[in-house]
Amino acid sequence: MTADCHFGRQSSSRVGAWCARCHTKLNPAVAQLPDNQYYCYACIQMGRMDTLHRLVTVAEPNQFAKIVKPMSWQGQLTNLQQQCADQVVKIFDQRQRHLLWAVTGAGKTEMLFPAIAWAVSQGLRVGIASPRVDVCIELFPRIKAAFEQVSCILLHGKADQPYQYCQITVCTTHQLLRFYHAFDVMVIDEVDVFPFAGNQMLHFAVQNAIKPGGGILYLTATPDEALMRQIRQKKLSVSYLPIRYHGFLLPTVKIIKSRHLKQKIDQKQLPQSVLRMIIKLLQQRQRFLLFVPRIKDLTLVSEALNRAAITGRFLTVYSADPKRIEKVAAMRDQTVDFLITTTILERGVTFPGIDVIVLKADDEIFSASALVQIAGRVGRNSARPTGRVLFYCERRTKTIRSCDNQIRQMNRKATRLK
Amino acid sequence: MLLCQAPLSTALTLEKIFSFQKVRPPRACAKCLSQFKPLLDCQTCRVCGRRAVDLSDDTCLDCHKWRQQFPYPFVNQALFEYNAAMKDFMKQYKFLGDYRLRAVFNQLVTARLKQSGRLIVTVPIHPNTFEERGFNQVLGLCEGVQTVSCLKTCQITKHTRQSEKDRAARLQTAQPFEFVEPAGSLIRGKAIIIVDDVYTTGTTIRHAASLLYQAGANSVTGLTLAR
Ligand SMILES: [Zn+2]
Ligand SMILES: [Zn+2]
Ligand SMILES: [Zn+2]
Repeated sequence: MTADCHFGRQSSSRVGAWCARCHTKLNPAVAQLPDNQYYCYACIQMGRMDTLHRLVTVAEPNQFAKIVKPMSWQGQLTNLQQQCADQVVKIFDQRQRHLLWAVTGAGKTEMLFPAIAWAVSQGLRVGIASPRVDVCIELFPRIKAAFEQVSCILLHGKADQPYQYCQITVCTTHQLLRFYHAFDVMVIDEVDVFPFAGNQMLHFAVQNAIKPGGGILYLTATPDEALMRQIRQKKLSVSYLPIRYHGFLLPTVKIIKSRHLKQKIDQKQLPQSVLRMIIKLLQQRQRFLLFVPRIKDLTLVSEALNRAAITGRFLTVYSADPKRIEKVAAMRDQTVDFLITTTILERGVTFPGIDVIVLKADDEIFSASALVQIAGRVGRNSARPTGRVLFYCERRTKTIRSCDNQIRQMNRKATRLK
Repeated sequence: MLLCQAPLSTALTLEKIFSFQKVRPPRACAKCLSQFKPLLDCQTCRVCGRRAVDLSDDTCLDCHKWRQQFPYPFVNQALFEYNAAMKDFMKQYKFLGDYRLRAVFNQLVTARLKQSGRLIVTVPIHPNTFEERGFNQVLGLCEGVQTVSCLKTCQITKHTRQSEKDRAARLQTAQPFEFVEPAGSLIRGKAIIIVDDVYTTGTTIRHAASLLYQAGANSVTGLTLAR
C-alpha cells in the first residue's frame, strides 16, 4: 500500500470552487461541465479530477528493507562539499526548511548523496523533484547508480514505467500532486525555474506531498525574489556554496555595448565587433554557445553569419526543435563549432571548455537568473576552469547589472573561504 | 493559454489594456494554431473534403466507392487535416476531457454553420460516453448556435469504440442511431447540415444522413472539424 492518491468512481458531495487534488481555486464558469459536474482544468494533465471522483489516501507505512550501507557511490567530496553535505544531513535530521545556494558547477548532486544515504539508512522515504523534466531525466540515472541497492523510481508526464512504491522517488514537481503526506524528506532542485516559480498549485503540491513536519531542501544557483524575501523574513534558512568543485571562481561577465544591435540583427547583420570575436574564436578553435533571446533571431543571426562568410560549422536550436537532442549531441561530439540557441540551453547542459556569447543581453526575455545560468556554462571543468562570458547589448539594464553583481558577490564569498 | 504553457501576459499588450474593450483571452497561441493544417483554401475531394492527392480527379477513391454504396446525395466539408496536432487535440479534448478546449475551434465552426443557413443537427454520442466525459464534444464545438437534437444512439449498439474498429468492419456496421420521433416535423423538407468532430471513414455521418433523408429532409450536407 502506498500513501499516494488513487481515484475512485464513488460519487461525492464535494462541489466547490477548489480542486481537492491541486487546491487551485477554480473559475466555476470555466470548470462547469454540461452535466452540471465540475472538473479541474489546472491539473488535468495528471488525469481529470472532477466532482465524480474522490481522492483516496493511505497512511505511509515506510515499509522498507533495512539497508545498512545504502550508498554505492565511491567518489570523493571536496572539503567544502563535505561541509555542505554534513549540513544537509543535519537539515534532514532536524526536518528543517532550508535553501542551499550553490553556484553553477558546484557539484550539488554529489553533495546530496551523504544525506540521501543517511535518510535511507533511517528507513525514511526520500523525494527529489524538479520543475524541469530534463533535469529529472538527467538526475535519475546518477541517483540510481549511487544507490544501487535502494528502490528508485522516475516519474514524469512522458514516462511509461508503471508506478511502484519506492524509497527514492525522482519526479517533476507536477507529479507531486499524486502524493499526500508521503515523503519524510524532500529535495526540490532548480526551485527558481518556470513552471515552479510563482506557481501556487506546484507549491501546494510540495506542501501536500511532504509529511507534516518533514524536512525540505531547496537547491538553486539563482534564487528568485520570492525565495530571497523568505530568507530576509527568516522563514527560510540559507547556506552558500560559492566555490565550484574544482576550486576556481566563477568567470565574470564582460559587458560590451553595441549600438543599434537589435536593428542590425533585424536586418540580418552583425556588428563588426561581434563578427571579429566569432572569427577569433573559430581561429583559436575555441568552441562556444551563441545565445539569442527569441526563436526568430536564430534565422536572422545565422543569415547574418552566412552573409559575412563565416566559415565555422554551426546549428541553431530551440526548445520545440524536433532535432534538439541530435543537435546538442553534435555540439558534444564536436561535429559543430558552435550552436546558436535560445535560453533552452541555459541550464542542465555541460559542454567542457566552452565560451559563451549573448546577443541582445538587454532583451527582457533574459532574466537575471537566466543570465547567471548562461554565464555558468563556462569554466565548468578543471582542465579549463576559466573562459569568456560576453554580453552584447545596447543598454546596461538592471537585469544585466543584477547578474553581474550576483556573480561578483559569490566570488567575494568564495575568496573569503580560500 | 489553451494547448500550451505559453504565458498569457505576452498577448496582453498595453495597447489592448487601455483600449477599454473587454479583453478576451486568446484561445491558443499562433504557434500552436499553426500546427493545424486548414483544408478550406486548398484543393480537396469534393465529396469528403480531404486534401486531394490526385489533382486530376475531384473525387477520392473512397468517395467513388461511396457513390455506389450510399443511395443519397451527400457531401462533407472538413475544416482541418486530421494530422498529428489534430489527433493530439482530440486526445486532450475528448479523451482527457478538457472541456475548455472547445473554445479553440468553436468560433470557426459556428461561423461556418451560420454561413450555411441550414438547420444544424449534431451526431449524437452514446449516453455512457456522455456520463463518463460530462459533455458532448460536438455540441461543445457548436456552442452558441441553435442545434436540433433529433438523433440518439441505439441502446444495443456500443460494442467497441469507433476508433478501435477497422474500416471494413465499420462499413458493415448496422445503423447505430435512431430518430427521436417528435422531431419529424422539424426535419421534413429542410436543408440540413450534420456536424461531427472527425470524418474517418464517413460511415458514421452517412448513417446519420440517411436517417434524416428517411425523415423527409430535402438535402443533407456534413461539416466536420477534421478529415
Ligand atoms: Zn486540480
Ligand atoms: Zn501555444
Ligand atoms: Zn473523398
